[in-house]
Amino acid sequence: MRRIGWIKSTLLVSAGMLLFCGQAGAVPLFARQTGEACEACHVSFPELTPFGRLFKLNGYTTGQNQWIPFAAMAQAGFTWVNKNHDDQDNLITPKTGRPEFSATSVFLGGKVTDNIGGLAQWTYNNLVVNPDGVSTTGHGSVDNTDLRAVGRHVSTQTMDEDWIYGVSVNNNPTVQDVWNSTPAWGFPFTGPSNVPAPAASAVVSGALAQKVVGFGAYSFWRKSLYTEFSLYRTADGMFTFLRAGQSQPPGSVPALQGYNPYARIAYNREWGGNSLMLGAYGLMVRMYPDNTMQFTPTDRYTDLALDAQFQHITNPHTYTFQASLIRERQSYGASYPATLSGSPIGVGPTPANAADRLLTLKLKGTYYYQRKYGATVALFSTTGDADPGLYGPGSVSGSNNSSPNSHGYILELNYVPIQYVRLMLQYTGYDKFNGMRTNYDGAGRDATNNNTLFLNLWVAY
Amino acid sequence: MHRIDARNRPLRAAAAAAALLLAAGFTAAADEAKPADAEAAAKLAAEVCSGCHGPAGISKSPLFPRLAGQQEAYLAAQLHAFKGKTRSDPEAHNYMWGMATLVSDEMVDAFAHYYASQQPAPGTAGDPKQVEQGGKLFEQGIPERGIVACANCHGSNAEGRGIFPRLAGQQSAYVVRQLQVIQKQLRSSPIMHGIIKDLTPEEMTAVAAYVQSK
Repeated sequence: MRRIGWIKSTLLVSAGMLLFCGQAGAVPLFARQTGEACEACHVSFPELTPFGRLFKLNGYTTGQNQWIPFAAMAQAGFTWVNKNHDDQDNLITPKTGRPEFSATSVFLGGKVTDNIGGLAQWTYNNLVVNPDGVSTTGHGSVDNTDLRAVGRHVSTQTMDEDWIYGVSVNNNPTVQDVWNSTPAWGFPFTGPSNVPAPAASAVVSGALAQKVVGFGAYSFWRKSLYTEFSLYRTADGMFTFLRAGQSQPPGSVPALQGYNPYARIAYNREWGGNSLMLGAYGLMVRMYPDNTMQFTPTDRYTDLALDAQFQHITNPHTYTFQASLIRERQSYGASYPATLSGSPIGVGPTPANAADRLLTLKLKGTYYYQRKYGATVALFSTTGDADPGLYGPGSVSGSNNSSPNSHGYILELNYVPIQYVRLMLQYTGYDKFNGMRTNYDGAGRDATNNNTLFLNLWVAY
Repeated sequence: MHRIDARNRPLRAAAAAAALLLAAGFTAAADEAKPADAEAAAKLAAEVCSGCHGPAGISKSPLFPRLAGQQEAYLAAQLHAFKGKTRSDPEAHNYMWGMATLVSDEMVDAFAHYYASQQPAPGTAGDPKQVEQGGKLFEQGIPERGIVACANCHGSNAEGRGIFPRLAGQQSAYVVRQLQVIQKQLRSSPIMHGIIKDLTPEEMTAVAAYVQSK
């Protein structure tokens, strides 16, 4: 009986959102500005086509100024976790197995002048878990933001002179990147909220998102060679607006010392309906162990990544591949001696090693037929040094052998009935979680207990 | 069957003549493009249009047509059709309706003139069997099925004429796609639709391979 109720609710939510979208009768911001269809710039949001990459590199300035430079999107869906109770029978992920409105975003931006444009996103997350671990509340905050000033020098006589160059101010390393093999706009493009996730990930993979401000300069030469250099610092002072709404409890967010370098190089080639990118990027940050104690020594994280992307976009067949390998070296110059002396710095990390390594591999392939019916297969793997100080035992989120190693896959089906609506079914499976396949947390939990099924309705208007 | 064809022939000839007159009109208008417009068109073509249509109008993607050396009257007619939203095949709707709003009426002629003046791409060799079959269809048509020779309007070297587009060197996948959308009447082209309504997919591929090779 309860199940029938859920099915009814799902149908109602889906129908309501479709109806709402139909009534809206408008298109998202950039589509309004350029007059293009969404698929001109996106394989499927947010993966960019070659045309979309040029639009972004040109500072979002193509098209006509909009009187109302806003767009919005909303997401609702179901989440199922394979085993949603821990060893004490406590709920792990609240509000599963029933339709939930998860988030809505407002986008502001587009063209300001012929040379200045941007994208600013504000997101209301409806599924922030309260301290009781069961109830949720809504919370709004700044999301990805990328503001640009650009120039273009193209010779009308010869192909040899074709430069796009610009500067970017943004709040997330790689949010300014135009290939979807980098973390900020990488796969999975959307996922379930509050589900168990592996303990370890590289700093460049989202830890600094909406916590920092970056100032960068880039150039794209003959659509072949992209180079960029940026400096990131904590988004404070006059840049606090780039993390507005983000909570800052001790230890929960990173705080950087001074300006920290990020560099990117990518080779791009386009032929036929194909495009290929081979690239590398790196980020080195000095981070305070506790963000509320910005007078202590710092730990250093050095991320070096290789990435690649191939896209074949024709009608009716489109297929794309992304690959990313990130190697992180964590040097605990501050946290390790403090831990060793028995007085860790604030609520910062308590590593048992002076330095640790982390290696993250992601592979993803997508096929779309008529840009309407899509399927994606992705594999991910994280391996690294065992460190009992960082990855200790603990129900669900801990590791029984102190290892950060996790392996798994994501299978996804997409249906895009109209360009503003995407229905997605996503299955995430783990064959190793925080170091082991079985009893990984020391409390009897297996990696596959964290497998997740996620049904998501995405609407933009 | 034969009688129906015979009846249609004068109609087609009249339509072709009307089209040529129209083309002459567009050509005359293009000749009046101002130098300032010509400069602006060349700059926009390099900075914006080249993103899809390639540098100097030689596209590398089969989704987007090569414009270099295209007939000026045809280019102007298409831009007007995008602006007026009378050309409504999916790609026109998805890409060009928006782009064409950025082009003023005065600039239409300047763009047409710019691309018509560019050196066309050389032909690309295809499957010899397809090229041979397509060449026969292009030059002779299939009289028994009422399919007239493409060369009648598009020129013996597929160079185009007035509002009849140049096909030589065009990407075969793009040509096939246009034949499909015209056959399904997603792109309005009454003359072409009448001629190719029974063209098979294999014949489309062959004739596209032939024109690409020219």
